[in-house]
Amino acid sequence: MNLFFQNIVNGLTLGSIYGLVALGLTLVYGILHIPNFAHGALYMVGAFMSYFFMVDLGVHYWIAMLGSAAVVAVLAILCERLVFHPLRNSPPIHDKIAAIGILLFLEAVVQMFWGADFRRMTSPFTGIMRFDGLIIPEQRALIIVGAIVLVIALQLFLRKTMTGATIIAMAQSREGAFLVGIDANRVAMMTFAISGMLAAFAATLYAPINLVYPAMGHVVIMKAFVIIILGGMGSIPGAIVGGMIIGFAEAFGGFYISSSYKDIIAFGLLVVILSVRPQGLFAKGAH
Amino acid sequence: MLQLRNVDVCYGSFKALTDISMSVDSGELVVLLGANGAGKSSLFNAISGLNKPAAGEIEFEGKRLDGLKPSGIVSSGVVQCAEGRKLFPMMSVQQNLMMGAYVHRRDKAGNKQRLEDVLELYPILREKADQPAGSLSGGQQQMVAIGRALMSRPRLLMLDEPSLGLAPLIVRQMFETIQKINRLGTTVLLAEQNAFAALKIATRAYVMENGQLVMEGDRDTMLGNEEVRKAYIGA
Repeated sequence: MNLFFQNIVNGLTLGSIYGLVALGLTLVYGILHIPNFAHGALYMVGAFMSYFFMVDLGVHYWIAMLGSAAVVAVLAILCERLVFHPLRNSPPIHDKIAAIGILLFLEAVVQMFWGADFRRMTSPFTGIMRFDGLIIPEQRALIIVGAIVLVIALQLFLRKTMTGATIIAMAQSREGAFLVGIDANRVAMMTFAISGMLAAFAATLYAPINLVYPAMGHVVIMKAFVIIILGGMGSIPGAIVGGMIIGFAEAFGGFYISSSYKDIIAFGLLVVILSVRPQGLFAKGAH
Repeated sequence: MLQLRNVDVCYGSFKALTDISMSVDSGELVVLLGANGAGKSSLFNAISGLNKPAAGEIEFEGKRLDGLKPSGIVSSGVVQCAEGRKLFPMMSVQQNLMMGAYVHRRDKAGNKQRLEDVLELYPILREKADQPAGSLSGGQQQMVAIGRALMSRPRLLMLDEPSLGLAPLIVRQMFETIQKINRLGTTVLLAEQNAFAALKIATRAYVMENGQLVMEGDRDTMLGNEEVRKAYIGA
């Protein structure tokens, strides 16, 4: 019972992180049709920025998280302005090549400043909460609560504000959005900024129970792509549910089968789910 | 009010519009007749800023439109209700209408009043306000599309084939409301294949063939013109 509960906590933790990363990826894909392979690099930069703010500048974890989100949001906007915007009328393959270019560039820059070493970032939440024999490490609880808060905040922004509605409008009908006078550039920059912030929040939440290193984005971005493919490209609920499915599959698969196979489980699930539902779990009606 | 001078539009090496010069005066209801592929939508999209003209000038109330972004053109008062409606299918009818007021989002009271006016014009939309726009019938979706365009407070409303794919009875009501919108003070440029119905409510008309304007005249001239009757009215 206790171990089972532990696995649920682990599944929720992983699922929250994967979900947040996939959410940013799916937003950019759904609205701008860019498969942003560099999203994992934004995640990695997010972790390094928090590390920099906390360890080198000595600020508090929360401030570091906000600072990192701001830096990565600006970086994501720069990627959109300098790379993807000039390519908007090119064939889609150019976006993909450019995204891989950004990924390699960001990794090289980070490696230049911090080296390829694995680093540890400790958060102030190292305690353990006990509930009648059940154990939840504080950082894991923070990840789960943090993800829920971010998802709710994002939903409120998209559904309740006019600015958020422009993003939804652009996703449902690009031409319709132009016809009512929505500025495509503003929406593109905003979408990239939100996507970058989500990546930075996810990285900062996860870094204390993991390690910080330049290649840390690789596995995460692969899984985020698996998640948005099986959730339905561009679908927000798909990203969240897909993230949880992969998170739980890894937690339980890693425990009951073998932890060395845990990364394969995500890709195995992708094959199984896509052979049953090729359009993904939450295929979007609006396209 | 709207002036086009020698406008060319190209898609790659294909010239979709050649040397278009036309004008629409304040208060008019001008009809643009033409078969499929004649270039009506290309012309509208050039005016709306969705395609940049390769040559020529587009002027609205003395201000150059070509070169402005689509959002800037909507703010200037030129609003297009496109062929195929281009609604936001998963948003409710009310949200669709309110998105039309995007460029006037700061004026909440004005938008509320405007929404009332649109719902008065199309009372059926009041009942459907909370349904997703994509779930409505074709005629009702067309009402949402026109309503959304009206929410942008156009001084010139461009309607691209609003009767396309609608039942004859619905088409008649559609033309009646277009006439009403015009009488209430909005200048209208209407692209149609349904020549007879469109000419009946028109002040003037242009005929477009193969990307060129080939004829222009007021309503009675056009209705009496032998070639127009043969080509577009079939009588």
